Amino acid sequence: MILVGILMTVLGFIVAFLSLAMTTSPAARLGIVLAGIALSIIGILGVLNSAFQKNAIWRKP
Amino acid sequence: MKKSLLLIWTLSLSAALSFGQAPAATPAAPPAPPVAITDADVKGVDAPKPDARLKGDPDGSLTGTVSDVPVGDAKKGLTISDVINQVGQNKVAINFTWTLITGFLVMFMQAGFAIVETGLCRAKNANHTMMMNFMVYGVGMLAYWLIGFAIQMGGVGGVANLGGAPPLNTEHVITLLGKPFGLYGQHGIMLTQGGTYDVAVMVIFLFQMVFMDTALTIVTGSAAERWKFAAFLVSSFMLGAFIYPLFANWAWGGGWLANLGTNFGLGKGYADFAGSGVVHSVGGVSALALALIVGPRLGKYTRQGKANALIGHDIVIVLTGCFILAFGWFGFNPGSTLGASGNGNLRIGSVAVNTMLAGMAGGFTAMFYMWIRYGKPDASMSGNGLLAGLVAITAPCGFVNPICSVIIGLIAGVLVCLAVEFFDRSLKVDDPVGAISVHGVNGIWGVIAVGLFADGKSNYGGSWNGVTGNVTGLFYGDPGQLVAQMIGVATLLGVIFPLVLVVNMAIDAVIGQRVGAKAELDGLDLPEMGQLGYPEFELKSRSVGA
Repeated sequence: MILVGILMTVLGFIVAFLSLAMTTSPAARLGIVLAGIALSIIGILGVLNSAFQKNAIWRKP
Repeated sequence: MKKSLLLIWTLSLSAALSFGQAPAATPAAPPAPPVAITDADVKGVDAPKPDARLKGDPDGSLTGTVSDVPVGDAKKGLTISDVINQVGQNKVAINFTWTLITGFLVMFMQAGFAIVETGLCRAKNANHTMMMNFMVYGVGMLAYWLIGFAIQMGGVGGVANLGGAPPLNTEHVITLLGKPFGLYGQHGIMLTQGGTYDVAVMVIFLFQMVFMDTALTIVTGSAAERWKFAAFLVSSFMLGAFIYPLFANWAWGGGWLANLGTNFGLGKGYADFAGSGVVHSVGGVSALALALIVGPRLGKYTRQGKANALIGHDIVIVLTGCFILAFGWFGFNPGSTLGASGNGNLRIGSVAVNTMLAGMAGGFTAMFYMWIRYGKPDASMSGNGLLAGLVAITAPCGFVNPICSVIIGLIAGVLVCLAVEFFDRSLKVDDPVGAISVHGVNGIWGVIAVGLFADGKSNYGGSWNGVTGNVTGLFYGDPGQLVAQMIGVATLLGVIFPLVLVVNMAIDAVIGQRVGAKAELDGLDLPEMGQLGYPEFELKSRSVGA
């Protein structure tokens, strides 16, 4: 899951970066970049954090 | 009585109006034609007699005169060229002095960070926390001197305020989407390679080095009280040598983020005046990566996942440290003009005032938020609110007006409280000092704030990042600037965070990031450092896991 989280986080950047090639409209670019940022945030706080929390010290008996 | 009051009111009003109005305009005389100054004029300037100063110069009128202008050729005497060269050197000297002194202030922020973090940790870890903050200065500087500076600034090109710095002229560039993308600099290794043994390069190095060290010291806060000292050293070296300089190059060193304006028409490119993104967000996302890897402290969460408060041991040094940091921020932000003379640098007054206003606003809203929510004005969160306001204004301080600065600070103060609760309780990410919330979350807020609030009134020589015009945000008419800022945020989250995570997972695999359970319970001072922070005091546990 850690690998998935990292890939998702990087994918968010790639989406934001590709907004530069997809359109010249600032509004459309902003929308795509925001989607990329959302993907990265889900990757970090959702997937990666959950993966690390599985082995958190307070869960251990 | 009424008549007297009416008379006074009428007189006051007329007086106010008369003071408030400009005098009647008179026809302006035509401007006199310019008069050429010759060498003869310069030679004719009266100099104080040689023996005049033997009696002393109590009012300073005899010190700093034509006698002090160096003469290039003694046979010719003083010429126009001598005078003009001296004017140029004076400008650069003012800017050197400004940049160095503000850099010294930023260096002193290390002391602020050290005692804020130590005060927010428990007494049993005081020595360890102080030593991390102390040694991050040395290990960061070593890494930056060896390679980091070259990666960051080796291709920056001209720095006009400091006399050019022409040796920093080699950027590694690739072509993507049909445009040039600067990735890293190549001159400046050990401050000698590529002709960088140069007075201007030295000034730039000192100023940028203390900024880099600020980013590194943020990380020690989130991993405090359980970070293995050896792992901290290696991790800090990697951050100072490679990861921080990479993003700093893209934003400040002539890299691709700075050129989003010239290449893609996005405002003036990614604009980060003093480093909400470059310094604080890089430090903040690195702090998050480390906090995930080392995990929460023993006793921070119950078996059911409920958060316990592990109270810091000295709120007095925490708030003293916040004051030191606020003082140092007057170096951080106004110093980022890299000069006080020329190229619109008189904005330094505005930058300094914006800085103090945002800090004030952040401290206030954090205090009131905690007071309303928990019934008391929490001291540590008030301090964090001040820092959050300062972090958030760091990117926009050179581009916004005082009202927007206060708005940015007000939002930062609430944001830091919400973020601390969110990370602590919802995500169960243990961050003993709130570094992720203060620097990561509010650093990103500061980057976005440029894209919203930049008012287009600042003018640093007529252009920014090579694009003619002034930085202007969405609310003042340029949506492209906001897009550039958001691409910067996406880069911080989608490139820098994973990079830090992967590097530190590798360090974890090789030497381990976290200390053993016994050492953590005993406190890290003896097992990690060999000496207690407070050897003559008996330490008592007052909270779970203490």
